[in-house]
Amino acid sequence: MAEGGDVEWELCKENIQPLRRGRAISALHQALNQQQDGPISATSQQRQAFESELRMYDGDDPLDVWDRYIKWTEQTFPQGGKESNLATLLERVVTRFTEEQKYHNDPRYVDLWIKFTKNCHDPLEVYSYMQTHKIGVTQASLYIAWSEEYENQGNYRQADLVFQEGFKKCAEPHDKLLQFHKALQARVSRQVMMNEADDSSDDEPKQPERMSLADLKHRGKKKAIAPVNRTGGAIRSVTGGLQSHGTSVLGSVSNSRLLIFDENRAPSASLPEPRPEPWLAPPTSKAKENEQRPEKWCDVKVPQKTKFGHTAMAPPPPKPTFQPFVEESDQLPAMTPCKINPAVNTVLSARKPSREETPLKRLQQKEAEAGKPQEQSMYCKELLLSGATEFCFEELRAERYFKKKAQESQAGKEEKDRRTDC
Amino acid sequence: MTSTLKGITLKGSAELVAEFFSFGINSILYQRGIYPPETFTRVTQYNMSLQLTTDAKLKTYLTSVVSQLKEWLFDCTVQKLVLVITCLETNEVLERWQFDIECDKSAPDGRASREKSVKTIQDEIRSVIRQITATVTFLPLLETPCAFDLLVYTDKDLVVPEKWEESGPQIIDQSEEVRLRSFTTSIHKVNSMVAYKRTDSV
Repeated sequence: MAEGGDVEWELCKENIQPLRRGRAISALHQALNQQQDGPISATSQQRQAFESELRMYDGDDPLDVWDRYIKWTEQTFPQGGKESNLATLLERVVTRFTEEQKYHNDPRYVDLWIKFTKNCHDPLEVYSYMQTHKIGVTQASLYIAWSEEYENQGNYRQADLVFQEGFKKCAEPHDKLLQFHKALQARVSRQVMMNEADDSSDDEPKQPERMSLADLKHRGKKKAIAPVNRTGGAIRSVTGGLQSHGTSVLGSVSNSRLLIFDENRAPSASLPEPRPEPWLAPPTSKAKENEQRPEKWCDVKVPQKTKFGHTAMAPPPPKPTFQPFVEESDQLPAMTPCKINPAVNTVLSARKPSREETPLKRLQQKEAEAGKPQEQSMYCKELLLSGATEFCFEELRAERYFKKKAQESQAGKEEKDRRTDC
Repeated sequence: MTSTLKGITLKGSAELVAEFFSFGINSILYQRGIYPPETFTRVTQYNMSLQLTTDAKLKTYLTSVVSQLKEWLFDCTVQKLVLVITCLETNEVLERWQFDIECDKSAPDGRASREKSVKTIQDEIRSVIRQITATVTFLPLLETPCAFDLLVYTDKDLVVPEKWEESGPQIIDQSEEVRLRSFTTSIHKVNSMVAYKRTDSV
């Protein structure tokens, strides 16, 4: 049934991240085939080539190499993940050129920023960071991505305001901005209409509608049919026909289907105007998991039994009904001794505290450091560290050597050609 | 009962293929977001959940196309069905779903039945539709409002029916083409393919 044997992608479809621009099928096949054969050197060779090109490039458009490298990475690692190194690459590239005025409104650079944003915990923060730093302020794509983010969070008013800001800045291409703005308006108005129709039909407090994806079938002799209720996330995704499917729905998204804008209410904070120093205090990291808020414990009381009148005789309960708070450090000795060498046991390892800082935070830190007296390294540190992986001196030397050799042979050939011409 | 289940006639084959197109086109329209998802309703067909449009106009349009197609399938004069997705504003062709139909013209009498059970055929159809659904893994996101169009390639000497018009092939230049699975009723064979605009990557 499988003609041509090109069903590789279908078997791995769950492991392929959809890209906004789609994927080249040939690259996809290649990538998937290579995965089967194990980490084959072709990929790492290509990566090495890009890495050295990053370092050896001496033209006037260094962004081009980065752009190609990142696009190649996207296509070559369809499942994303750590080995693709995409997050690091994106972070490196956006940090690298924050100072370069000429790239600030380069569509490629802005696109890279938008991709970088998708990896961040709070994309909205990054967008306003971009705005304050005048990155992409004349590019329509920034406003479109920004507005989409607001829309995904259900804040349609801000989404619209972002477009207004874009129009004010005369973002290019104007047509595209206009078109997406129209599409947003159409989506919002359709939702409002649908909502009104729903409201008029029944006045009962609205429960999220329950939908089933498929009826459950009974197996064997059991005839009972279980009800299938799916609420929340399953419904939320059924909103607009053309909404972006690529962006993941954030955890903070509320279940409420629509946020109706009330005109009469006092206008809340509008778009943040670019302030001079809004990023000196980095926003708190919200990426922590299982964070428990500190609570007051001194007022917690065990309810006393007074029903039968012998309160005084009642002995103190052997165990409190609540779990007393114990410091984590106190609990450690009580744990069963760990037999496995902790260095080896990588399963479910704790999150490294250093990884908890968001990329945005790192970006800001770097900026803050820029004010301090610069350290000067007496070797070409940038060259060694500029890519996603670290190079060693020998690699750089080899690269230069090969380049020189190639030039020499080229020159030699030309000389020969000239001689034969004479 | 056994005879109707086992064999397949030309008429039955034409009906099966037309039915596939009806569900297939609906699936594509739903998957690619050409029409808003709330205008679709779920039905169970081929042992899987499929989306069918509830839009009255679209429904009539599709029914008329499919019934016409059924006639042509019965006559074995149709060669291709193409679903073209174009950008509403610029009229640029963004995606092209092509279904090549190979008719076995040696079985035109409509009586003789071939040995292939309906169930096997439906299983094949199901895997084609599954694959259509799976194509979102590599297709580009359609960022703009889009319209669709259906093209049918027939034998040359056929009279163009009313409400149909001749058109160009609407080929995408610089496209990426992906062959999908195919199925056969042993009388009609349908090869599926999707073409989309190539990415501007390396």
